[in-house]
Amino acid sequence: MTTVDRPAYSVIGTRPIRPDGVEKVTGKARFGPDVHFPNLLHAKILRSPHAHARILSIDTSGAENYPGVLAVATNHDLPTAADKIEELGESAVNLREVSDNVLASRKVLYRGHAVAAVAAANPHVAELALQQIKVEYEVLPPVLDVQDAMRDDAPLLDETRRTKTLMTREIGDRPSNIATYNRFEGGDVEAAFAEADVVVEREFTTSMVHQGYIEPHSTTAMWNADGTLTVWTSTQGAFAARGVIAQVLRIPLSNVRVVPMEIGGGFGGKTPVYLDPVAAILSKKTGRPVKATMSRADVFEATGPTSGTYIKLKAAASGSKLTAVQATLCYEAGAFPGSSVGAGCMTMLAPYVIENFQLHAYDVVVNKPKVAAYRAPGAPVAAFAIESVVDELAQRQGIDPLEFRRENASRQGTKMVTGMPFARIGNEEVMEAAISSPHYRSPIEGPNRGRGVASGYWFNGGMQSSVVVAVNNDGTVNLIEGSTDIGGSRASLSMQLAETLAIPYDSIRAAVADTDSIGHNDVTGGSRTTFATGLAIYEAGMDIRRQMVARAAKLWGVSDEDVVYEAGTLRCLKDSTKELTFSEMAAQSARTGGPIAGKASLLARGAGAAFGTHIVDVEVDPDTGKVTILRYTAVQDVGTAIHPSYVEGQIQGGVVQGIGWALNEEYYYDDNGRMLNASFLDYRMPTALDVPSIDTIMVEVPNPGHPYGVRGVGEVPIVPPLAAVANAIADATGHRFTALPISPRRVVEELNGLV
Amino acid sequence: MATVVIPAILRDLCGGAPSLEVEGATLDALLVELDRRCPGFYGRVVEDGRLRPELAFALDGEVVRLGLHDVVQPAAEITIVPAIGGG
Repeated sequence: MTTVDRPAYSVIGTRPIRPDGVEKVTGKARFGPDVHFPNLLHAKILRSPHAHARILSIDTSGAENYPGVLAVATNHDLPTAADKIEELGESAVNLREVSDNVLASRKVLYRGHAVAAVAAANPHVAELALQQIKVEYEVLPPVLDVQDAMRDDAPLLDETRRTKTLMTREIGDRPSNIATYNRFEGGDVEAAFAEADVVVEREFTTSMVHQGYIEPHSTTAMWNADGTLTVWTSTQGAFAARGVIAQVLRIPLSNVRVVPMEIGGGFGGKTPVYLDPVAAILSKKTGRPVKATMSRADVFEATGPTSGTYIKLKAAASGSKLTAVQATLCYEAGAFPGSSVGAGCMTMLAPYVIENFQLHAYDVVVNKPKVAAYRAPGAPVAAFAIESVVDELAQRQGIDPLEFRRENASRQGTKMVTGMPFARIGNEEVMEAAISSPHYRSPIEGPNRGRGVASGYWFNGGMQSSVVVAVNNDGTVNLIEGSTDIGGSRASLSMQLAETLAIPYDSIRAAVADTDSIGHNDVTGGSRTTFATGLAIYEAGMDIRRQMVARAAKLWGVSDEDVVYEAGTLRCLKDSTKELTFSEMAAQSARTGGPIAGKASLLARGAGAAFGTHIVDVEVDPDTGKVTILRYTAVQDVGTAIHPSYVEGQIQGGVVQGIGWALNEEYYYDDNGRMLNASFLDYRMPTALDVPSIDTIMVEVPNPGHPYGVRGVGEVPIVPPLAAVANAIADATGHRFTALPISPRRVVEELNGLV
Repeated sequence: MATVVIPAILRDLCGGAPSLEVEGATLDALLVELDRRCPGFYGRVVEDGRLRPELAFALDGEVVRLGLHDVVQPAAEITIVPAIGGG
C-alpha cells in the first residue's frame, strides 16, 4: 500500500470482522425470498414469448376461474401514468415507460416482457393458471442490434418516437429508434489529425452483459386495511423503490413502507423496480400478502443488463502526446430509452489530457430488456475502445504503453470533456505505482503469452444520506442508517463512527432501517455510501461530541469552551482532575438532559473521483482459443482505505466481472430475439477456477472533500479489465480484437483467418 | 463572476463561445442572465421551474444535484451535463 499524507487513525485502516458476517455465514440473514407469512400468496408472471409484438387482446377469464387462483392483474390495473420524465430519488425516469415495463400495455418490446400476473396460495397453481391466460399478439419483426436499430428502415419499437437532441431539445423529423443524441466537443480535431504523427481508427462492438448477482429479484407486498402498503424487497435503494412504487400506483409516499432485505448482489441491477407494483396490486385485490420471486431465466430476460454497444474511434498522437480523439458511441438502451452513453462519453477520456476531441452519443432502443446500471455504467466499454487505441498509438510510437499513459495523464486542474476541471485526483500516482510494481517490472516470457495494461475512471457519487446515532447508557451505540449494505458498508460506516467518537468498533451496532424509520437515503450505488453516508455519520458523531461537551460543562459548572473531547474522553481544561470517559458520560445521560443522540441528513458534496490502472498477463491457446489469465494486478487510488480488506474485495470483484465481460459473457440471441443462454449453465461467468488471485495495490490519495479522505472504490475496478485483457491478447497473438467477448471461438476464427 | 462552460451542443446559441463569464447570485439568476446574452438558453435546460430531470449541474468539477435557487459563488465554474447514475 502506498500512503500519501495519511493521518494516524486508530480504527480506520484496520480490518475488523463485519457486523453482518456471522448471520450471513450461518444462513440466518434474511434475503428477499426468506419473507414468509401464514396466509402468503404466490405470484407468477406471464411473460411475452415474442421479442416484438402488438397486444391485440388479453383474456384472463380462464385464469380467474382456475381453482386456487385468487387474483389476476394486467396493465389495466395500473393507474395511467404520464408520458413525462420525472425525477425520482436520484434518477430520472419516464413513469409511463416504468409502468409499461412492469406490465406491458399496447406492445411487448422484448421476450420476457411481463404481460399479466396471477396470485394463488400455491405457486404451482399460479404457474399452471398462467397457461389459461389467452393473449392475442400481432407479431412484429424485432431489431436486436444497435447498428441495425439505427438504420432508417429498422422496425420501430415506438412509431411516435423521434430523436431528441438532449441539450437543444430539437426533435428529429421522422420516427426513429434513436431516442437521444448528444455531443461533447473541444479544440480542433481535424487540425490535430492533420498534424499528427500517427492516427489510429478502429470500430468496437460489445455484447449486452448481465450483472450476474446471485440472488434473483424477490418481493413481498402487503396492502394493509388502512390503505398503506408494506413491501419487503431485494433492492439497493429502499427510498428509490418507494418512490417508483408510489408513483406507479399513485399513492402518497408516506403510505408506502419499503423494508430492504439483505441483498445477494446488485451491482446496479437492483436499482429498478419490476415486481413490487405487481405484487402490491395482487395484494390489494386479495387482502393478503403476495410474494413474487424471479427465476434465473426471468432475471436474464426481464431485468436490466448493461448495453451492447458500437463505438467508432479515431485517435492521434504526435511524439509521446495524445493529441486528438473523435468517437461515436452508440449504446443499446433496451426496450425503453436511457442507456449510460452519456457517462460513457464523460468517462472515456478522463485519464488523459486531450485538448482536441469530439464525441457523439446515441441512445438507441432495441428489442431487449431495458438496461440498468451495472458497476460504473457506460464506462467499461468506452474504456475498452479508447484504451485499445491508446495502446496501439503507444506501440506505433515505440513507447512503453504505461509510460505513454503517464506522459498524458490527467491531474488536478485538467479539464474533462464537460469543460470542468478535476479536483485532487490520484491518476498519476496510480500510473506511477503501476510502472514501479513488481508485476510490471517482471518479464513476461513464454510462447503465446502477452501483457496488457489499461486505465479507467469513474466519477463517484455524493447524493443524499440520513443517519441517527443513539448513545446507550452503557456506552454502546446504535447506528441507524438507510443505506442498504451491498459491499460491507455497515463495517465501513461503523468504523468511521468509531474513529469520530474514539470508541471501540465493537461497541457500535449498525442497522439498516426501513423507509418509515429513517430520513431519506439515495441508493447504495455510484460508489457513494462509504463517502456520503460516512459524511453524515461524521456529522452525527460530531453532534454527539458537542452534546457531551455541553453536558460535561454543565456537570462541572464551566463553560463549553473549557471542555475538550479527546480520544473518547471529556476533559476539563480548568481542572485536570475532572474527566469522563465516553461510557461514563453516557451513563449520566438521564441526569444531564435525557437521551443523547446525534443525527445528520445531508446532500453530500465533494465526492472524489477514482482512477485505476491494471496489468494483466495472459496465455492464449492457439488451438482451442482459450485465454488463461496468468497474473493480474489492479492499482487504484482508493482515497483512504477505511477497511482495506473490503477495498481489496471490491477491486478483486470488479476485476473478475471485467474478465468475464472481456472473455466470455454475452447475451446470445436467435434471430427472433430469444435469448439462448438464459441460465448460469450457458451464460459463462468466471468462477474461482478461472482466475488467479488478483493482486491489488491501493494508492491512497485522500479526497479533500471528506474528513477521512474517503473516495468511492466499488465501481472503477471494472473499467480497465476489458481493455487490459484485450491488449494482453494483442501482445500475445499480434491480433487486435475489437469485439467482445473474446471467446475461444472468436480467437480461433481470428487466428486462423476465418472471420 | 461565475464561469459558465457552455455545453458544445449549445454553443451556437452563444456565438460559438466555449465559456462565458456571467453574473448571478443564484443558478436561476445566472441562467436568466445567460439567456439574455444567449437567447433560448434558459428554455433549453429549464422546465417547470427546475433543471430538466435528464440533466444535471456540474459545479467546480463535481456533478451534483442543485436547485435553481442555490447560491453560486463568484469564482465558481459551472456547466450542465447529462444526468448520470452509478451501479
